Amino acid sequence: MTLAALATGCGGATQIVQIKALPAGQDRADFGLGPGVRPLSHGPGDKSAPAWNPTDERVAFVVDGYVVDKPLYNQDLRRWTTKDFGASRSEWRSSEGLTIFAESPSPDPEEPGSVYRTLPKDTPFGVEKIAAGALAMSPGPGGEGLIVALETSPYESGIARIGGNGKMDQIYTNLIGGRVTGISLSPNGGQVAVAARGAATVALHVLDLATGDSKTIARLEPGMEIHGDPQWTRRGIYYVAGEEDTGESKLAPDHLYRVPAGSSTPEPAPGVGEDFVASSLRLSPNGERLAIVGRRNPASSTNLYILEPATDNLKAVTANEDMEIKTGPYDLAWSASGDRMAIVARGVISGPRVLSAPADTILTDFYNLYEVPIEAPEGDAP
Amino acid sequence: MSGILWWLSGAALAFLLTAGAFLLLANAGDSPSDKSLRPDSPSTPSGPALELQLPKDRLASLEHNPDQNLAISIRNAGDERLSDINVSVKVSSENTALSEARYYRSSVESLAAGEIVSREFALDLSVAARSPEPARAIIEVRATTPSGVSSVRTAILPA
Repeated sequence: MTLAALATGCGGATQIVQIKALPAGQDRADFGLGPGVRPLSHGPGDKSAPAWNPTDERVAFVVDGYVVDKPLYNQDLRRWTTKDFGASRSEWRSSEGLTIFAESPSPDPEEPGSVYRTLPKDTPFGVEKIAAGALAMSPGPGGEGLIVALETSPYESGIARIGGNGKMDQIYTNLIGGRVTGISLSPNGGQVAVAARGAATVALHVLDLATGDSKTIARLEPGMEIHGDPQWTRRGIYYVAGEEDTGESKLAPDHLYRVPAGSSTPEPAPGVGEDFVASSLRLSPNGERLAIVGRRNPASSTNLYILEPATDNLKAVTANEDMEIKTGPYDLAWSASGDRMAIVARGVISGPRVLSAPADTILTDFYNLYEVPIEAPEGDAP
Repeated sequence: MSGILWWLSGAALAFLLTAGAFLLLANAGDSPSDKSLRPDSPSTPSGPALELQLPKDRLASLEHNPDQNLAISIRNAGDERLSDINVSVKVSSENTALSEARYYRSSVESLAAGEIVSREFALDLSVAARSPEPARAIIEVRATTPSGVSSVRTAILPA
């Protein structure tokens, strides 16, 4: 786009200088993650599990095990829990309240956690436990209430529905075989997909929230496990799976799989390529797109990708230069409007760094939240 | 004939006037001031200024243990003598749930313009090692004078 043309010189030569306008977003500094990416936090702290509020005006996240939230672009932090809370993630219950999943303080990683809800904000660090023995949680249909997986025995799990008032509305009597590791709603909100680790294998189950009927829809090969929540799209259920974590270094990377709608056979997810290494994924609010943190191949850098299951089109939305993007299952979050995502990243340092700034203003040397703009799919632009 | 000459001389005059006007405009629009073309000269601070220097080679050898000696240089980078300089060091962990930061203080009575002095601190960097997950250690150094001159440097050590 030409903004100006200047005529210069006196010898009859005329030089036209074209000044191109910057594409939207490129007028900002690049934080090592590509154009348009904007920080949402700064300072020290191991930040994780971002969550946008329903109006996209605030973002909540976990810092070193406690929960805070803040307006998007200033640092007016509001702390919701004590510092030793052991939170691993949170979900907005409304514009002014959170549901928090906290790990058990026990050193045993198999010990189930608890689900809390925050009390009105005039109660400092006030939280109320609404479920104990919790293994996983998902927002309920339409964002109302909560679906939780509960430990009933070492070999079985139960599913329960918690209402907006924090009371358990329904406990489903059909138990899920195995220990639930992830749960997500179906596109119409009538069912949940549940990943559960049994004695021999990991399986995907579906439970009907109206009837309570459950069935196993797919079983993984022995030694494989699902990381995070499966994501249920209209094209099937997607999940990240890899070798079971045995505490030793893993040889094979994790990949993205899909159980197509109406099928019981998992297949490599189409569109990403056979070398694609997947770490975490989240379904967009409209259910049309999957955000994936992963790598094009084992040797490439980690980036945020958007996969459209309807077209199998995969597109990188970050251009990671030298940042370490967090790969935990809850370290990426869609905004409620679906036009932005939050991820967590920090710069890689191999030696000491000295900066002319106070620690609480430093950005890339600590894990911080970044907002990544997500373009509307082609054809959806206004 | 005289009409043609009159017309030609009129056209030549109009051409010269127009060309002159263009030249004037071109020179006016294309002549940035010398000042804007001159590269920035190295800043020579006027007024008071403090500079802190943390030796990177020593920082690289620090361990997340008690009694880690670190010499910090304080330079008067301004053109006035500074007095009663307070030097404070805060050692903390990247893990903000650990509230046990360590604080150290020293002072410099007087520092002439351009003068540099060193202050040695025995730092306890074990606070970063107390994090359940490996955490980076933070050494935040501030130098301030009662007259409001200040400087800050933050060193971040890998986990």
